[in-house]
Amino acid sequence: MPSDCTRSSTTEGFVPPVRGSRPVTGDTDPSLVEAARVPAWLVAPETHAPAYAPNGQRRRRGFLDATAEQSARVLRQVVVADATAARPGLLQRLDPRTAVVAMLAVLVGLSLVHHALVLLVAWVVVVGLALASRVPPGDLGRAWVAVPAFAALVAVPVTLSVVRAGDVVVTLWTWHGVPQGLTAQGLVAAALLVTRVGCSVSVVLLVTATTSWTRLFAALGALGVPRVFVMVVSLAHRYLVLLTGVMADMVTSRRVRTVAGVRHDRAGRAVLGASVGALVGKAHQMADEVYQAMVARGYRGRTLTLRLFRFGPADLVAAVAVTAGLAGLLLWDGALG
Amino acid sequence: MHVPDGYVSPQTCVVALAATVPFWVVATRKVSDVVKTKDVPLLAMFAALSFLVMMFNIPLPGGTSAHAVGAVVVAIVLGPWAAVVALSVALLLQALVFGDGGVLAFGVNTLILAVVMPFVGLAAYRLVAGRSALTSRRRTVAAGVGGYVGINAAGLATAVFLGVQPMLFHTADGTPLYSPYTLAQTLPAMAVPHLTLAGAAEAVLTAGVLAYLVRAAPGRLAATHPDPVVAVGPSAGSGPPVRPRRVRPATVAGGFVVALVGLCPLGLLAPGETFGEAAPEDLDLAGLGLRAVPEGMERFAGFWSHTLIADYGFGEGQNPVLGYWVSALLGVAVVGVVVYLLGRVVEAVVARRGPGQPEPPRGRTTDGPAEVVDGTIDLAAGDVQVAVTDAV
Repeated sequence: MPSDCTRSSTTEGFVPPVRGSRPVTGDTDPSLVEAARVPAWLVAPETHAPAYAPNGQRRRRGFLDATAEQSARVLRQVVVADATAARPGLLQRLDPRTAVVAMLAVLVGLSLVHHALVLLVAWVVVVGLALASRVPPGDLGRAWVAVPAFAALVAVPVTLSVVRAGDVVVTLWTWHGVPQGLTAQGLVAAALLVTRVGCSVSVVLLVTATTSWTRLFAALGALGVPRVFVMVVSLAHRYLVLLTGVMADMVTSRRVRTVAGVRHDRAGRAVLGASVGALVGKAHQMADEVYQAMVARGYRGRTLTLRLFRFGPADLVAAVAVTAGLAGLLLWDGALG
Repeated sequence: MHVPDGYVSPQTCVVALAATVPFWVVATRKVSDVVKTKDVPLLAMFAALSFLVMMFNIPLPGGTSAHAVGAVVVAIVLGPWAAVVALSVALLLQALVFGDGGVLAFGVNTLILAVVMPFVGLAAYRLVAGRSALTSRRRTVAAGVGGYVGINAAGLATAVFLGVQPMLFHTADGTPLYSPYTLAQTLPAMAVPHLTLAGAAEAVLTAGVLAYLVRAAPGRLAATHPDPVVAVGPSAGSGPPVRPRRVRPATVAGGFVVALVGLCPLGLLAPGETFGEAAPEDLDLAGLGLRAVPEGMERFAGFWSHTLIADYGFGEGQNPVLGYWVSALLGVAVVGVVVYLLGRVVEAVVARRGPGQPEPPRGRTTDGPAEVVDGTIDLAAGDVQVAVTDAV
């Protein structure tokens, strides 16, 4: 883990404990910390701004606070994902190629299902696999809830007959004598959307949470993705952590130099433009330095990767299980009509 | 904006992926030609940068803040083809790291955010900026317009992708299998936030970043702005004369016609009657809550009956297919000619006003003496060469 990342993913030490601020070791998953030997402060949700300004007034959350929290969330998620992938669990023992191929097959299979009940059962199986793989609730689980919850919010209007005509099953009001309310087609469509989205995002997060990034990207290369592209993705992931640290430093330094909140006016927009513009400059400079370092280590334009794959019995079992499971789901879906 | 898995059908994903692949191939070749062996770290850095730009919260008037995509500013700074690669990698990382955007829907998201948005936004930026100096206010405004147009084009593309799903993929009783909303619902649903909040956020980000780079590091823009950067320094005109790019009216008319023909499938997919085109006798009066055809409509419905090809066919209704094709080709030709003539008028007006003079550079807001900097960037060699040519 780069030093930039560890340094900038906490504010402990330079955010004074003031009234209203949350404790640094808030919603930490103790088992995660213990198993992965990650310091508690590193995975704790971060409090970037004291809740009160020096004049005693409650501080308003501005765009700098939101950006700082966002950058901290990225760093925390990378740390947590690496820690989870390092745990001993059911899916962690799989060859990454098996995991990637299975993920794509399951996603395609789920997209072909036409019944919400089938998708719901598949979702339960995925959650069961997550528990068996010791994927912790919390940061990773949040996405499992947030994405389907948003889908549910999006799907609410389609259940109403005024939005999409259909057979009204629950009458909510009448319009010139015609009953209006929830339609059978709308309810089925909403259930399909929520279960399909929830199940799909769970499958992706399950695989990415149980496979370390290096193995995941190497698997992409092994499966035929051009090596240059894989190397770009791998390096981009690495630089993402570094540049996020740089960004967090910039935003934090601006915040600590600002007594009152940064206003959302021309000055605020100038700060934003300067921050992103400075980031462009740093990225260019960093790319030059990294390239020089690569050349110094023998890089001549060819990309080589270590082959660390082993298709073992667990992979065979997983491949058979996924194939049988998908076939069963699709046959069941077909039998339902 | 990121379409998650489950909202679009696998068939749509395959089509979108197939449409994106040529852009990836061309982008990889073009970027590799420019940066050569440095492409790997440079592209990776750009990809990480694109990811980070999406994380910035944009301050908007009224104390609110919103996220921007940043695809247009990436295209302005790095060029459109580098933006395609960088944004595609950033979207892949987002899909895998945060579940933001689908893995199966990766092709859809890259087509919208890594192809449509940067290219459309950059075209709007170049159209508005013209050949103005890099330091001119017009170029900053152009960047804002580019960001605004780009995000709205992406919103439109997203609305189209989502809106065609219930028409193409549904069960026998009409239950949608994927995104359940029709084009009539997705278009306004995407238009309202993108024309207001999201558009403003994108405009603020794009204009703000360009203004900063012009002021603080114009050399970073040299690769994508060769002419305006040259115009900034006193050495302008010392090199070989740069031939101005001329947009020919015929090219514009041809592009317009191609765009119209390309959008035709949308009209074929749309169900029902065309809104507002029904003849009085075709009106569903009961459905509209009317007892009779409105008087004004009745009076003016037959006001003009001297059409060349009435009802897209010949006079007696013979050869309806041939009549329809003739009508379509004639319509396309007329639209092309009208756009061409408008282009000629604009060309004539511009020619009468004389060749545009580059706006004088504004002073740089530095604490020390103002410097006129002539910056050139050599990406192939990897060195940013900035030469101070004069100091005042």
